[in-house]
Amino acid sequence: MHELLKSFRRGEPMIWFTGSALGICILMIAGLILVILVNGLSFFWPQRLEQVTLEDGSVFLGEVVNREAIPNPGQPDHLKRQRILLRLGNRDLYGFDFKWVDEDQIQKREAPPDVYFVERREYGPLLGTPVAIRQGDKDLAGDPRAVPSMLRELVAKAGRDREAVERIEKDEIGEINQQIEQARLAARKLDLVARHDPGRDLSRERAELQRVTDEQQALFQRKTQELSALLEQAAGSFVSFKAAGGREKELRSLDIYRAYPANQLSWLWRLSVYGSRLWEFFSGDPRESNTEGGIFPAIFGTVMMVLIMSVIVVPFGVLAALYLREYAKQGALVRTVRIAVNNLAGVPSIVFGVFGLGFFVYFVGGGIDRIFFPEALPTPTFGTGGILWASLTLALLTVPVVIVASEEALAAVPRSMREASLAMGATKFQTILRVVLPAAAPGILTGLILAMARGAGEVAPLMLTGVVKLAPELPLDSFFPFFHLDRKFMHLGFHIYDVGFQSPNVEAAKPMVYTTTIFLLIIVVLLNLTAIVVRNRLRRKYQAGAF
Amino acid sequence: MERHHFEDELQVLKQRLLGMGALVEDRVHQAVTALIERRLGLAEQIAGGDQEVNELQIEIDDRCLKLLALQQPMATDLRLITAAMKINADLERIGDQAVNIAQNVIKILPQPPLRPTIDIPRMAQITQSMTRDSLDAFVKKDAVLARKVLKRDDEVDQLKDQVFRVLLTYMMADPGTIERALSLILISRNLERIADHATNIAEDVIFLVEAKDVRHHHEERVTP
Amino acid sequence: MSQEVGTVPDTGLRIKTEVKAREAGAAEIRDADIVIKHVNLSYGENHVLHDITMDIEDRRVSALIGPSGCGKSTLLRCFNRMNDLIDDVRISGTIKVKGLDVNAAATDVIEVRRRVGMVFQKSNPFPKSIYENVVYGLRIAGINDKATLDEACERSLKGAALWDEVKDRLNESGLGLSGGQMQRLCIARAIAVEPEIVLMDEPCSSLDPIATVKIEELIYDLKAKYTIVIVTHNLQQAARVSDRTAFFWLGRLVEYGPTADMFTKPREKLTEDYITGRFG
Repeated sequence: MHELLKSFRRGEPMIWFTGSALGICILMIAGLILVILVNGLSFFWPQRLEQVTLEDGSVFLGEVVNREAIPNPGQPDHLKRQRILLRLGNRDLYGFDFKWVDEDQIQKREAPPDVYFVERREYGPLLGTPVAIRQGDKDLAGDPRAVPSMLRELVAKAGRDREAVERIEKDEIGEINQQIEQARLAARKLDLVARHDPGRDLSRERAELQRVTDEQQALFQRKTQELSALLEQAAGSFVSFKAAGGREKELRSLDIYRAYPANQLSWLWRLSVYGSRLWEFFSGDPRESNTEGGIFPAIFGTVMMVLIMSVIVVPFGVLAALYLREYAKQGALVRTVRIAVNNLAGVPSIVFGVFGLGFFVYFVGGGIDRIFFPEALPTPTFGTGGILWASLTLALLTVPVVIVASEEALAAVPRSMREASLAMGATKFQTILRVVLPAAAPGILTGLILAMARGAGEVAPLMLTGVVKLAPELPLDSFFPFFHLDRKFMHLGFHIYDVGFQSPNVEAAKPMVYTTTIFLLIIVVLLNLTAIVVRNRLRRKYQAGAF
Repeated sequence: MERHHFEDELQVLKQRLLGMGALVEDRVHQAVTALIERRLGLAEQIAGGDQEVNELQIEIDDRCLKLLALQQPMATDLRLITAAMKINADLERIGDQAVNIAQNVIKILPQPPLRPTIDIPRMAQITQSMTRDSLDAFVKKDAVLARKVLKRDDEVDQLKDQVFRVLLTYMMADPGTIERALSLILISRNLERIADHATNIAEDVIFLVEAKDVRHHHEERVTP
Repeated sequence: MSQEVGTVPDTGLRIKTEVKAREAGAAEIRDADIVIKHVNLSYGENHVLHDITMDIEDRRVSALIGPSGCGKSTLLRCFNRMNDLIDDVRISGTIKVKGLDVNAAATDVIEVRRRVGMVFQKSNPFPKSIYENVVYGLRIAGINDKATLDEACERSLKGAALWDEVKDRLNESGLGLSGGQMQRLCIARAIAVEPEIVLMDEPCSSLDPIATVKIEELIYDLKAKYTIVIVTHNLQQAARVSDRTAFFWLGRLVEYGPTADMFTKPREKLTEDYITGRFG
C-alpha cells in the first residue's frame, strides 16, 4: 500500500494512464486500417472455384466468399450448423449472383480443373467451362481441348480491339463531335448577334461555319465506317461457355475482359492476375453501375478538386489572415470578424452545399451563362453543378481553418524580427513579404494540410454542387481550354456512398466499398505527406516559429 | 589578445614612464659630470629647473587615473598602473635631487676642489646604475634584478657615512674647507636619497612582478 | 638607458604621431550629427522624457547611461522613429539627424531608418542565410545586382570582424551561429547600407564576457566611420567604450560630457552617486 502511494505521488500512474490512452488510440486506428485492408485487398485475389453438389441434386459452381453459423433463434440448432456463401456469377442465367448453401446439405465438393472465371462487359462475372469458339459459322477450335489456348489469344486480341475502338470512338469521333458542337454554338452566337444588329452582314461567317460543319460531317461518316469495319472484324468471334447445371452461354470475344482457369493457376499467375486487377482498378473506368471496373475518374476528380480547392483557399485564407493580424486596427470589429470566422468552421457542411448551389451554381453560374454562353442556353454551362463550383464550395468550407492556422503562424513570428526589418528601413509590406510570411510558412502549410484533409473527406456539399455517379468525361483533357471547370466530376467519397448504398447488387458492391476506401485513404495520406515534407523542409530552412 | 585599445594605452603609459626615467637619469648624470669636470654652465643648465620632468609627472598621473577609472584594470594590469604611479613619484623626486645636486655644485665650483672626491663619483656611479637597473627591471619585469638593486643600497649608505667621516676630518683640520665640505656632504646626501628612490622603484617592481610587498622587511630583501 | 650627455634621449618622449593625433582628436569638439532640442515624450499618461537637449557628435561613441526605466532606450528609439510602433506616443521638440528633422510631417520615415541603423539588445537575425541577412537592407532598397551585393556583404562582414569565421558558409542559416556571432551579424547587417549613424541598444547584455569584449573592440574600429550611440546599463562598458557619456535619471538628462571627466570628476552629485554605486 505504501509502495502504491509512493508511486502515485511520483506520478507513475500518469505515465501508465497516458500511455494506455495512446495505445488504445493506436489500436483503434490500426484496427480500422487492418479491417479495410483485409476486406479490400482480398477482393482482387483470384480464388479457387468450388463445385458443390447438393443432396437434392442441384449443382453450384462459385467462389467461397463467406462462412457463418446459421442463426435459428428459438430452435435447438441455433448457431450450431454452418453455411457458406457462394459467389456464382452468371447473373444473366440465374437472376442472382450469390447463394447461401447449408454445409450439411452438401453431398460432394470438388474443384473442377477446367472451369474459367470470366470478367465481361455486363452482368458481372461468368463462371463456367469454355467449350467452343466460332467465327461466324466456322468452328475455330474443333477440339474442346484446344479451346483454352485459343481463348488466351482471343482475349488478348479483344483487349487490343477494344482499345482501337475506344480510340476511334472517344478520341477521334469525340473530337469531331466537339468541332460540330462548337460550330453549332458559334452559329447560335451569330443568331444572337443578328438579333441585336439586324443590318449586319454575317453571311461570310455563316458560310465558313457551314463549311466546317460539312467537313466534319464527312469526316464523321468516314470514321463511322472505319468503326463499323473494325467492329465487324472484332465482334465476329464468339466463345461458348457451359455453366454448372448444364446451361450454356455464348459471349462475344470483344466483351471478354479477362478469363483464367481458376483452379489451374500457379502462384505466379495468381499474382499477375492480382496485379493486373489492382492496376485496372486504379486506372480503369467503371462498369456495370460502378460495381465493376476501375475508379480512375473518381481518383482523378478527387485529386483535381482538392488541388483547385487548395489553390483557391490558400491565397484567400492567407490574405484574410494577413489583414486581420497585420493591417486591421485591433478593436471590436476585428474581434467580431474573428469570432465569425471561427464559427464558420462549425457550420454543418451540407449548409455549405446548399449555399454553393444557390449562390455559385444558380446565381453566379447563371449570370456567367447569360453573359458568356448565351448561345448554349437553355442548356446550362456554368449554371449547373461543376468542378469549379464544388471546389469553391469546399474552399469556403475550409477557409476558416486556413485563416486560423495562418493567423496563429503570423502571430508566432517574433516581434523582434519585425522590428529588425522595420529598423532597416523596410516598409510594412516589405517586412511582411520578405520576413513575416516566409517565417510563418510552416504554420500556413499546417493550415493547408488540415484544409486538404477536411476537403478530401467531405461528400455532402459536393453532392449538391457537381459530383455525379458517372461522369462521361474527365475535367481535364487535350481539347482547349484543357481545364473544363464546368464539367461534372466523380469523387471517391461519393463513389463509396454510391457503391455501398445505391447499387443494385449490394453483395457484389461490398468489397468495392472497402477497396475504394483504401484508395481514398492513400490519396489523402499522399497529399498530406507531400505537404508535410514541404513543411519540414521549410521549417529546417527557416528555423523559426512554433509550428 | 582582445583589448587592443587598452593594450595600446598601457604601452603608451610604459613608454612615457621610461622616457621620464631616461630623462631623469640623464639629468643626474649631467649634474654629477658638472661636479667632476667642473663645468659651471652645465650645472646652471640643470639647476635651471626641471619643467619637463614635472609636466611628465602630471601627464603620467593623469593617464594612470584615466586608466583606472575607464578601463577597470585587474590583477597584473592593476599592479602595473599603481606601480607606475609610485615610480612616477619617485622619478620626480630623483629629478628634484638632480636639481639640488646642481645647485650644490654651483656653490662649490668657484672655489678650488677639495681633494678626496673619490667616493662621491663612486657613489654617483652606483646610484646611477641602481636607477638604471631598477628601470630595466621594470621594463623586463625582472624581480631578480630588482632584488640586486635592493642589496646595493647598503653600500651607498656606507659610502655616504664614509664621505661624511672623511670630510669631517677635513673640516676639523681646516675650517676654510667647511663650505665646500658641507656642500659635498649635501651632494652625497642627495645621491643617497636618489639611491633610496631607486630602491623604492625596485620594491615596486617586485610587487608588480611577484605581488609581494617587500617594503620594510630587511630580511626578505636578502633572500633571492 | 641612454648615456648621452647633454641631449634629451629619444625613446618614449617623442610620442608616436598616431597616438598624439588620436589623443588630440579625442579632445576636439566635432560637428553635431544629432541635434536634440527640448524633447518631451509621453506614452499615454506616462511622461517619460523631460526636456532633453543635447548634441551627439560626429564619429564619436556616445553612451547613454542611467538606471532602468530612466528613458535612455526611449530616447534612442526616437532617433530612428521606432517609437512609432507603440500606440499612443506623443513627442514634442526637435530631433535633427544630420539636419533632417526626424519628426516632421514631410519626412519619410523609411529614409530616416535607412540613414540610422540599429542593433538590438537580443540579436535578431532573420531566418535566412547569412548572406541574405547582410544584404537585406540593400535588397529592400531595390539593389539586386549580384556583384554589388557580394561586395557589400564582404565589406560589412569584414567591418563586423565576422568575415573570417563565416566566409565559407555564407549560405547557411543565420540562426546557426553563436550568440556573439549573431550580434556581429546584426551589426554587419546594419552597416551594410552604410548608415551615417548606428544606434545600439544594450548590444552586449545577452552575451558572455568574451563575446562582449569582441563587440567592444569592434565599436572602437567602427567609430572611425560611423557615429555610434550606445545605450548601456553597464557603467564599466560605458567607461571603456565611449567618448561622451550622458547620464539620465527619471527621464531627465542630468549630465553630459567627455567620458574621462564623467568618471573621474563628475559635476553633479547625482552622477557621482550613481557612478560610485551610492543612491540617495
